[in-house]
Amino acid sequence: MNGGEPMIATTGLGRSFDGRWAVRNLSLAIGKGELYGFLGQNGAGKTTTLRLLTGLLRPSEGTLRIAGMDHRADGARLRQVVGFVPDTPPLYDYLTGRQHTALVASLWNVDRRTRDERAERFFDVLGLRDAIDEPCKAASHGTRKKIHLAAVLTTAPQVLLLDEPTTGLDPMSTRRLKDLLLEECARGTTVMLSTHVLEIAEQVCDRVGILAHGRLRAQGTVAELRQRFGDGSLEDVFVRTMEKAESTDDGPAAR
Amino acid sequence: MGLLHADLRSLGNLATTRTGRRTLGGALVGLVTIALMWWSTTSVLLESRHLGTSLQSLLATALMPCPIVATWLGLSLAQRQLFESAELPLWRLAPIPPWRGAIEVGVRAAFVTLAWASAMSLPFVTTLLLRTQPAPALAWALVPVALVCCTVPVLGTILSVQIVLVRFFSGRVLRIVLTIVAALASVGFSAWLLVGLFTTSAPRVATAGAPAIAVPWIVDTCAEMLASAATGENDTTPLRFALGWLGLTAAIFWFAARLHPGAAERHLATAPATLRRRSAWPSAVAAVVRRKEFAQVLQQPVALMGFVAFGALVWVLVRERVFVAGILAQRGLQPDVAHLGAMVMQWFLAVLLVLYAHMGRLVLWDGPQWSLWTTAPASPWAIVRGKLQSVALLLLWPLLLVAVIAGRAYGASSAVTLTFVATTLGGTLAALGVLAVVGTSPRLMRPDLGGAMAQGGRSFLAAMLLVLLFEFAMSPAVFAWSWLTANVHTAAAARAAFVWVAAGAWALGLAVGGVGVALGVRNFRRLCAPQ
Repeated sequence: MNGGEPMIATTGLGRSFDGRWAVRNLSLAIGKGELYGFLGQNGAGKTTTLRLLTGLLRPSEGTLRIAGMDHRADGARLRQVVGFVPDTPPLYDYLTGRQHTALVASLWNVDRRTRDERAERFFDVLGLRDAIDEPCKAASHGTRKKIHLAAVLTTAPQVLLLDEPTTGLDPMSTRRLKDLLLEECARGTTVMLSTHVLEIAEQVCDRVGILAHGRLRAQGTVAELRQRFGDGSLEDVFVRTMEKAESTDDGPAAR
Repeated sequence: MGLLHADLRSLGNLATTRTGRRTLGGALVGLVTIALMWWSTTSVLLESRHLGTSLQSLLATALMPCPIVATWLGLSLAQRQLFESAELPLWRLAPIPPWRGAIEVGVRAAFVTLAWASAMSLPFVTTLLLRTQPAPALAWALVPVALVCCTVPVLGTILSVQIVLVRFFSGRVLRIVLTIVAALASVGFSAWLLVGLFTTSAPRVATAGAPAIAVPWIVDTCAEMLASAATGENDTTPLRFALGWLGLTAAIFWFAARLHPGAAERHLATAPATLRRRSAWPSAVAAVVRRKEFAQVLQQPVALMGFVAFGALVWVLVRERVFVAGILAQRGLQPDVAHLGAMVMQWFLAVLLVLYAHMGRLVLWDGPQWSLWTTAPASPWAIVRGKLQSVALLLLWPLLLVAVIAGRAYGASSAVTLTFVATTLGGTLAALGVLAVVGTSPRLMRPDLGGAMAQGGRSFLAAMLLVLLFEFAMSPAVFAWSWLTANVHTAAAARAAFVWVAAGAWALGLAVGGVGVALGVRNFRRLCAPQ
């Protein structure tokens, strides 16, 4: 953590669906400018956590504060500072990428001049020049994701949440995305991303959290986790954490 | 750019892409076709003007599609938009008022509903006003007000009720109920449209001298408002009532919209209902495809209940003697012949209602999984065979329903019921042939590379073509009917003729079914071929 008040702070956060806990007892403190990686197997609760942080879902238990604001009290103010890029970007099929960006910027109260300056930069950085004036319907999954990322970044969020951001991206785009995220963090944006690609977490994340059966099993810098779980790659650390969770755990969070 | 601006931009951008142009063109062609067909059906009622029917009654008949369309779209399309729209996460994440998304869905739904309502109501309203010499400008100015007041309040109320229900009673049961209601609304609207389009109003006009329909009070009020303006009376009371109702329902929707964020979240948290079945699956291609189609029905409680709901609909059609009141009441017609004719007619209507849905099983519903079929080394014949076998079995449901419900309701003899079953089995083969041709037509059904179908335009044309071809395939039945009514006057003669009727139906079924399936397999092979 880079110090100061955490931009994302949760205590005992949990969410259940029909009596089954998808996430439980999750306590996080992610600081300003930090890049936090959220790792876990399919169904571990990563997307549910991101949805809780964005306000798309309400917690069943625990507290949640983003940028010092309580999720229950500061709805619109809180949404103003959060940007979210879900795995399936919510694009209007028949708007062009540029128009979608204009819409998102408008919803987040960004004035036209600022929007154009920022958008042009992100279109360039993400290599979107050829696709930005075509209707989104025609774009590939990766391009759709980049378009929405550019749109969200245009709003200059203080907290950026990304669900599987590299899915569908080509190697060049992945590289550009990594550089962009590091750049945004250097500017003070707090980034939290969920990913299955451990190399990305290893390369860019300040800290990672490993989630299994809805519970946070391990958290720290990659070096700290190596120290704790034995030397090796992050993949080895991840596998050992999962094995430990399976052997010591009484099962999914529901149990 | 606001949400409304974004929707308008999207609409404008439709014209800039090939897929968009096709969707837009198809939707326009569909609406114009419906408008012309509906106008030609309702304009028959103009004759009743000479028999003393008031202008207000005729205007009420003209405006009647407005609340019906609003109910249909409010329960089906708008319900999905309210809780599953692709843009919903964006609206909920944005720092805009939380109720703004529901308002946008309401605006979208109102736009689509008004387009449909205008297509079905405007031509006849215009005809009536043109016949009222000279219709004052005020009457013309009030036409849009009447359309909006007959449509939007119903839509707003339905949306409000759904938001409130999901907000406070969310759960698997409600999700199932709402899905069934949506399916019933779609089937009910199709049935209403078919009955309206294919039953002539002329006898009703001639006998009753007035359109014998009960209209909701808002339709009656708007008709009174237009009639008053058209005749120069200029009574403002109905206008005040209509606008007051519009304002009241708008206010209710505005309040309900505030509950939408909570309702959307609860909907998201409720898993769709499924039934899990564990049983061994076959390995042969046709058998496994057939099994897959059945699994999609049997593992969805909603689909299963849809079949029950369809049974209820058939019961209503039989009880109301839709299409067949004339046959059953015809004097001098041998009773067995009348029963057989009525039952076959009811079966025809019942099959017509489900044919489009079953056609989707061939290609339309598999759009997202299309690459599975195109990359599989299985023969297209085996895949189509499996799909058609499942559709054939599902098509036995309307046959069974009509045999049991209509056979009992009309007091048909066992000989008539057996002949009905034999005849309609032949008819089912013919239906299968038609469905195989249209449901695999590359021009109408080809998914794009992403597996998406261009909804709206092509699927509407496919539905129209399906209905027309099915009617054409069944047209020999008209000749058989003429022959039966002219030559069969005793029970003994009827039984002798029934053998030929069943044989003829089978011959027709084998011919149409055989050609249709052959063409369907060829089409499917073309669909699976590399582009």
